[in-house]
This record gives sequence, C-alpha cells and structure tokens, in this order.
Amino acid sequence: MGRFKNEERILHPFRVILNKEISDHVRSWRFIILIAIIALTCLGSMYTALTNIDKAVKPNDPEGTFFFLKLFTISDGTLPSFIVFISFLGPLLGISLGFDAVNSEQNNRTLSRVLSQPIYRDYLLNAKFLAALIVISVMFFALGFLVMGLGLVTIGIPPTVEEFMRIIFFIILSILYVAFWLNLSILFSVQFRQPATSALSGIAVWLFFSVFYGMIVNLITKSIAPSAMASEYQIIGFEELKLSLLRIMPNQLFSEATTTLLMPSVRSLGPLTMEQVYGTIPGPLPLGQSLLLVWPQVTGLIAATVLCFALSYLSFMRREIRSR
Amino acid sequence: MSVEKRWFRLFLALSLGIVCLISHANEVTESVTLYTPYTRISVPPGESIDYAIDVINNSKELKNAEISVSGVPKGWNYVLKSGGWTIGQISILPGERKTLSLKVDVPMKVNKGNYHFKVLAGGFDPLPLVINISEQGTFKTEFTTGQSNMQGNVNSTFTFNTNLKNQTADKQLYALMADAPRGWNVVFKSNYQQVTSVNSEPNSTQQVTIEIKAPDKTEAGKYKIPVRAATSSSAADLELEVVITGSYNMELTTPTGLLSANLTAGEAKQLELVVNNTGSSELTDIKPESSVPVNWGVVFDPKKVDKLPPGGSARIYATIKADKKAIPGDYVANIEAKTPEISSKISFRISVETPMLWGWIGVLIIVVALGSVYHLFRKYGRR
Repeated sequence: MGRFKNEERILHPFRVILNKEISDHVRSWRFIILIAIIALTCLGSMYTALTNIDKAVKPNDPEGTFFFLKLFTISDGTLPSFIVFISFLGPLLGISLGFDAVNSEQNNRTLSRVLSQPIYRDYLLNAKFLAALIVISVMFFALGFLVMGLGLVTIGIPPTVEEFMRIIFFIILSILYVAFWLNLSILFSVQFRQPATSALSGIAVWLFFSVFYGMIVNLITKSIAPSAMASEYQIIGFEELKLSLLRIMPNQLFSEATTTLLMPSVRSLGPLTMEQVYGTIPGPLPLGQSLLLVWPQVTGLIAATVLCFALSYLSFMRREIRSR
Repeated sequence: MSVEKRWFRLFLALSLGIVCLISHANEVTESVTLYTPYTRISVPPGESIDYAIDVINNSKELKNAEISVSGVPKGWNYVLKSGGWTIGQISILPGERKTLSLKVDVPMKVNKGNYHFKVLAGGFDPLPLVINISEQGTFKTEFTTGQSNMQGNVNSTFTFNTNLKNQTADKQLYALMADAPRGWNVVFKSNYQQVTSVNSEPNSTQQVTIEIKAPDKTEAGKYKIPVRAATSSSAADLELEVVITGSYNMELTTPTGLLSANLTAGEAKQLELVVNNTGSSELTDIKPESSVPVNWGVVFDPKKVDKLPPGGSARIYATIKADKKAIPGDYVANIEAKTPEISSKISFRISVETPMLWGWIGVLIIVVALGSVYHLFRKYGRR
C-alpha cells in the first residue's frame, strides 16, 4: 500500500462514515458521562467484591476452582455485583447511543446532504449501528480487562484458561445485549421524528421490561396457578409457562446467560423434576456444556437484535428523504 | 527286789558277752567297711547319680585302702571324689570315717534293666551297687508339639509351640529348617527372638515357637509343612499341618482404572468392566447389578459370570443409557458385582452432555436471521 499514496488516502466511503460516527460518539459529552457512570459503578461493585472475596470461599464449594469468576458475581448487599450493573446500565448505554441516530440528522437537515453524496443509502444506517457497536465493544472489553487486571493485582491469583474464556464470553454476551437495545433505539429513531420521543420510547421499553413486565407476569400466573395439591407435572408445566413468559424479556435472557457462564455449577435454567436431580453430583460444567446450556438464550438475543435491525433497515430504506 | 537284781545282772553279763563277741568278730573279718544307704537306685537314662559312700575304719590302727570302682558298664562315666579331689587311695584313722562321693553318669543310649557294679576298697569287702534303668534309653533328639494341626484363613498366622528335646549326651547346636511351599513364610522363635538355630544342653528341652504365614492367594486346602532340627550327627523331624480355609474376595474395576465417562443425554455408551477374583476360593454366579439415576438403563453382557477361579478375571460389558431429559453435568452411577458370598461396588462419575442438536438449531436460526438481513440488503440496498 505504501507505494500508492493516492490510493491510501482514498478510504472506502463506508469507512469514512464509520470513522466520523465513531469520533462523534467518543467526543460527545453524552458518551463521556455514560462511560464515567458505568466505570464508577463497576469499580464500586468490584471494590465490594474484593472486600468480600474471602467470605465467598467456602469449603466443598463446587465452584471453588472458579475463584476468579467470583469477582464478577459476589456482593455484600450494599452494592449490586458487576453483572447486575451491566444488565441494568447496559440498556441505558445502548439507548443513549442510538436514540437520535437518524432523526437528529433529519432534523438538522444533514441527512439529505449526506445522502446526496455518491454513497449507498444503507451505508449511513449500517455505519451508525456499527460505529456504536464498536464503541460499546471497546468499552466493555476495556472494562472487563480492567476488572480482571485489578483483581489480579489485588488477589494475586491468575485466572485459569477456562475462567478467562468464560469472562471473554461474558463480555461478548454483554455487547450482544447492549447491541439489542442499540438496535431498538435506532429503530425508534427511524420511526419517530423527534429525538425526545424516540429516547422516551426506548426508556419506556426498558422500564417496562425491567420493572413492570415481571409484575404483569406475576399477576397473570398467580391467577392461573395450580393448587398445592396439583400433580408434579402440572406444577412443572406451570413453572415452565411462567419461565417462558419471563424469557420474552431480554434482561431475563441476559441474566440467565451470564449466571450460567460465570457460575459454572449452574446446570439447568428451568424447573427440574426429582427424576432428573436424582443421582447428580454437584460439580462445575465444562465451558462447552455451559455454552450449550445458554445457547437458546444467546440465540434469542441475537435473533431479537437482528429483527430490530432488519425492521429499522426496512423502514429507513423505504422512507422518502428529501431536502426541504 | 532280789529277783529283779538277779535278772538285771544276767542281762548285763549276756549283753557284755555279745558285744565282746561282735567286736572280736569285726576285728577279725573287716577292719574297713564301705557304707552307703541307697544301694539300689532306679533312674531313667541320661540321669547322673551321686553316691555318698562312707569308708569306716573299725580297727585300732590306721588303715590305707585303694579305692576303685569295678564292673561299671562300658560307656558310663564315673568320678570318685573326696575333699575336692579325684582320689585313688584313702587313709583313715582308727575308729574314724571318711565320706567319698561317687558320681555315675548314666548315658542316654542304654537298655532297660539292672546294672551291677562294685566299689572296692583294697582287700576289704566290696560295696555292691545296683542301678536300675527304668526305661529304654535312646540316643537321639525329640522334636514334638502338642498340636500339630491348625486351621485358619489366608491372613492368619499359625503359631505352633514345639519342644526340642536334646537326649544326646552332648551339647548340641540345632539348625532349624522348614520345607514350606514357595511363598510361605516360616519363622522360628526361641525366647521371643527370631532364630535359625538353637543351642541345647544335653538332656534339656528347648521351647521353639514356629510361626507360619501363608501367601496371600493360597488356595483353600491342607498343607503339610515339614520342619527339621538338625545337627551334624542327628536330626529330628516334625510335620506340621496347616488347613487354609477359603476366602472370598472380589474386585470390580475397569481395565484402565478410569471410573468416569462422558455420555450424551439420551444416548448409550459401552463401558468395559473387569471382575477380579482376589480371594482364594472359586467364585460362582457373579451377577452384575446397577443402581443408576431414574430412567437410565444399564444392560450387561454377559448377564452372569458362572465361574471365576482364584486369581482369575472376567470382562463384563455394561451398556449404559442416559435419560433423554438428563441435565448436563455429573451423575453418579453405581455398578455392583454380587455373589452370595461377597460383593464389590464401584461408582462411575458420568458427565452428561446435552446433544448438539439444539445448538445447531440455534445456529440455523441465527443464519436465517442474518440471511434475511442480507436479503433486505439486496432488495432495498438501492445498489
């Protein structure tokens, strides 16, 4: 490439848009505030984890060999653990990075200007999505490695290969989870003209899922709950129904998946019959089996993300855009 | 009164006359007399007899007498002593007596019966002595035990208490040997010390303890263990008998010793098992049994091992099938081999894996979703 200086300068138009979007994100106050909040809360939860890690080691614990993973999962009750913070603040990050992706450009009359350039129209949407995703990925990997590094310095025990792989998968899963919320808010930003509306609707969905949906499911299931005298199969059927209703929530999918990945002794996510439990020995699952266990959750998250993206893509491409 | 006096005088005169007569006779016939109270003694072979012989000088003058013993059977030893010396002649003051000591050793090898010999004192009357040997003497070693047969299992120690009697005339050093089958351990103990030989004084008895231990995998049965105490000249044999009762021992394991397996839920896997007969009796009708989680199945091939000789081993193939609904992770499956006498149990740690099918379906869903996005790109990309 060095010989052809001219060619080097002419970047692919998609790369140009991507670079621009990334630099926009990184320099925006919104992003800086968000990353500061997330970094602070995560460091706080890590502090509580580190002060309580000596209590977390119990004799005969099947997870005893996964000491390092406890950094991400334990808390003393005053401050939630790392994974709880990620599942709570991650959606906020996704929504805030995507809610004004298209409509602000439209309101500022820059959309038609950009699109009058010799580029494909979907470059804009794809670049907006990809730029936010890259920023989130870099940030989450940085946070994850920050926790690992600080943990390493403080407790002095290096993670095993499996622990490291589990943490990497956990970070990828978190990125996927935030990507879902990002796509949802991009969809809203395509749908609604006002950035405030799209931001509010994104936050409304988030609040609905994290606060109200669980209550609604509880209300519904209470009314149809089988009596205490019901047979085992009825009770299991009811529990499974309740769980599948809850699994519509992306937070539920995310928390199930992260719990399984970071607590290797979790062997099943649904209700278990006595027949399945009889004869089991408590012990950690190998990474492959843990991944297989959460694969439906991961599939669900990916599918939801792709669906949101497809909808916003469709909506954006079919829209009539003109300069006023 | 006068009558009594007369009688008394008569008695006195008579007795005086008798005393004069007797003393006169002694003076004439025997001026030196040999005397011992026990002239006929009955002893078993191997004893030694001490005679105390008084030599009495009845005369009024000093007497010298050659002292000797004659007629002692061949091979017998005797010593004649007085005042600490072995003597051949003795001199006695008138009216005095001297004591001689005669020690006669009766040998071991001597026939039953009466043996006569005389102690001579010069030309005076000899003293005849008789030794009666009460039993037939031998010239050998006796090795005996009160209980020569013992029964026990393979692991027990058989302790025989034996007596080693030296009936020879000499001090003997006995080498102790056992002709045990290979692998048997025979230990000789004397005075609680492990020994290979014992010293024995003539005509004394040594107690020797023999401890016998059978090898681990000895088959049940009777075993004869000859033991021998030997010197260069003589030897004594003793045959000990040990009866080993059979022991039942069985070990169930796998050829590699690995007791864990991976199994996909709903699928079956064959495990190879080995039954070892580690006891000393033949095992018959060994049945493998399993206790596994609910809805799991185990099929054994063969269903029964008819016969297994001691030290033998047999293979059993167990096909274990996991429940379709088994959750991933570790389950424990117990497999037991049973005979009426004994059983052996192993626990398998079975790691259940979920089938990959659902994983691939998940991948398929993702591919379909991404494919539809690609389709959107193609259709609405305005390229």
